[in-house]
Amino acid sequence: MTQRTRPDKRHSPNEMRPFYCSSALLSRADGSVRFKSGDSAVMCSVFGPMEVKLRDEKLDKAVVEVIFKTAAGMTTTKERMYERIIRQTLEASILSGLHPRTSIRVTLQVLTDDGGILSTALNAATLALVDAGIPLRSLAASVTCMIDDTGELLLDPTAIELERSASVHTFAFDNVSEGTLANMSTGLFTVDEYMRCYETCRLAAVSVQQLFRTSSEGKVRREYG
Amino acid sequence: MAKKGKKALEVRDLPPGEEAASSTTKTLVIPGDHIPIKIENSTGPARVRVGPGLHQEQGELVAVKAGILQQGSQNRWWVEGTQKRYVPALGESVLGIIASKHGEFYRVDIGAAHPASLPVLAFEGATKRNRPNLEVGSLIYARVSLANKDMEPELDCIDPATGKAGGFGELKDGFMVRCSLGMARRLLDPRSPILLRLAEAFKFETAVGMNGRVWVNAETTPHIITVARAIQVADGAAAGDVMRRVEQVLRTLDDFMDNS
Amino acid sequence: MDDSTPASVQNGMDVDTPPSVTSTPAVFSLDSETFKKIHPTEYHRRFLSQGVRPDGRTLSRFRKAKITVGAITTAHGSAMARLGETTVVCGIKAEITEPKTGAPRDGFIVPNFDLPPLCSPQFKPGPPSELSQSISEYINRVLESSKLLNLSDLCIEEGRAVWVLYADIVCLNYEGNAMDAAMLALVAALKHVRLPTATFYEADNAVRVKEQRTIPLKLSRTPISVTFGVFDGQFILADPDIEEEPHLSSQLTVIIEQNGGLCGMLKPGGSALGQETLTSCLEAARTRATHILGILEGALAER
Repeated sequence: MTQRTRPDKRHSPNEMRPFYCSSALLSRADGSVRFKSGDSAVMCSVFGPMEVKLRDEKLDKAVVEVIFKTAAGMTTTKERMYERIIRQTLEASILSGLHPRTSIRVTLQVLTDDGGILSTALNAATLALVDAGIPLRSLAASVTCMIDDTGELLLDPTAIELERSASVHTFAFDNVSEGTLANMSTGLFTVDEYMRCYETCRLAAVSVQQLFRTSSEGKVRREYG
Repeated sequence: MAKKGKKALEVRDLPPGEEAASSTTKTLVIPGDHIPIKIENSTGPARVRVGPGLHQEQGELVAVKAGILQQGSQNRWWVEGTQKRYVPALGESVLGIIASKHGEFYRVDIGAAHPASLPVLAFEGATKRNRPNLEVGSLIYARVSLANKDMEPELDCIDPATGKAGGFGELKDGFMVRCSLGMARRLLDPRSPILLRLAEAFKFETAVGMNGRVWVNAETTPHIITVARAIQVADGAAAGDVMRRVEQVLRTLDDFMDNS
Repeated sequence: MDDSTPASVQNGMDVDTPPSVTSTPAVFSLDSETFKKIHPTEYHRRFLSQGVRPDGRTLSRFRKAKITVGAITTAHGSAMARLGETTVVCGIKAEITEPKTGAPRDGFIVPNFDLPPLCSPQFKPGPPSELSQSISEYINRVLESSKLLNLSDLCIEEGRAVWVLYADIVCLNYEGNAMDAAMLALVAALKHVRLPTATFYEADNAVRVKEQRTIPLKLSRTPISVTFGVFDGQFILADPDIEEEPHLSSQLTVIIEQNGGLCGMLKPGGSALGQETLTSCLEAARTRATHILGILEGALAER
């Protein structure tokens, strides 16, 4: 594999961008997180379990609502598709049966988009749910990778790298089950390439899970000494 | 079998300080972590009791919230984490605001997903003819008498041990502040350093609700503000920084008193 | 109650357990319709554990696919796709527009999928639902990223005039699996499109169109969408129908070509799927794609 520096000075195609997260930033929200992966940043707030509109009420579980807003604020079909993917991924993690007849609202606001925004948003949402103390079966961690026009696999590509992509793959894995929770792949690719992306993202998701642990630990240790 | 859900445990009986001392190491858990405690066929004194943040799944104990795994007396286990939204639990004392009046009950906002109902007869000495007179907007200190995830929570203002009011009922004057649920639990500890330090400076009264609301009253308004500010600055501060911030608030009070 | 007091049980007085418990246990049974209403998920689970689905299909069996092209005479290309009872119509209308300055030779294709209240009581009038918007968006991404059309083929005069293809995909009868039917109708309609020859005249700054002389679109490939439902995280159901959809723990859509090349994968959340399951779905999808292509070619030849 060629060792060439990536546009944002990363040395390896298998290297993720550094992440940062800071939680409990908003005083009114029950849980809030700002998650940053390189230059992609998403702010997420969680409200709930709170009162639900009678029309949406479910008698046996909590309703999960996801609102996805881009930096420009316009809601197009792209945002609705992201909302659907994120909502259905979170629904698999949230123990919604513990809070029937309530609503859990997850609002995602993109601050800056430099590639892999779906992954960044999903990771922000997971951390915000943890911050809000919503009971979760598992934690969903998401990673994006791409295959470029020369057939090389690049993990966590930036917007500039994505311009040369032959295919882009976003996966979500949790810390409990074997297999992928969510996946969106587009472009032209072979089964072998797909499986390579699956495996690479699965391994990378472990480091995102590690971040989830250290960030929760940092927060709790700080408050409890 | 261990109980599911939240009602098995009353954290109020066991102040957090005591737990921290009894558990040997502070284990941090995140959702999805398996807790290596045997819960199958545990009976008698060894019976495992499960509290908030833990869930039983296919015979195994799993963490569903992030926080410190705590063990209390009688093999009670729970996860102490940070949370702001209140989920009612049986026997907890809460601060509520009367939202509306109905024939037989009041509807009370306790900050949970659903408003709680408080029957007019759930007061000391209340009869069909002798009803309490609470207005919409009144602040009350009450006990959760019914907490079930499928039902609306219910409150009462009677201490079940004595049948007397025992401090429950309407809170007049004073001021209410909000804080995180963890902060409220720490304030309920009789050895809470924040309240002890404030008590050295002046006299005041508090009523702490497990729903993250604290009512404060003192002789003068600046004193009330001082207590309220102390709770707010301590909430969310790093553990080592809490007392320094409380001292700061107290100094502000001294400066104010000197100037006026 | 102990066994030495059968008398009190017999006469039914002050008995705190129902009499039926003691001697002949009454069989509590429900007819299948009632059972389905009360425990819909359990109803499906019992079928699937026997390796069969409520509509009689085996787990891996797809519904019958049917394609008709050229149903709408006023459109430049049209097709109707049916998967079982799910019916989707796609009409493609070509219009002339100015290209973007960044890409002066590129035309446009605008797919739009709609689930109107007509097709099922579960869809309400008003703005398009999250499901239909997601499908529109995903189809659009697949079209773009798989380079299905060479957009410069839609050029009439560089920088002045290009074709824009409005592909309106409408579901007429919804019986589940909208994605596969929508993709199939769209691809069939694109293969059916015949664009009129258009010439740009600089002098009067206008485009003249000859409707009688038409040319077909060149498609680089034929992507076929194949959807699987996952029930309880273990049963894989090919081509789930409307009865099964609400009880699925997850869905997986594979966009595949006959040669096994992939144009997209979509698993919008739900329970986890392992690598082995994915591999077996990919194999099943490839077989299905070959079958569908046969039907599609048959339909296009018939025209």
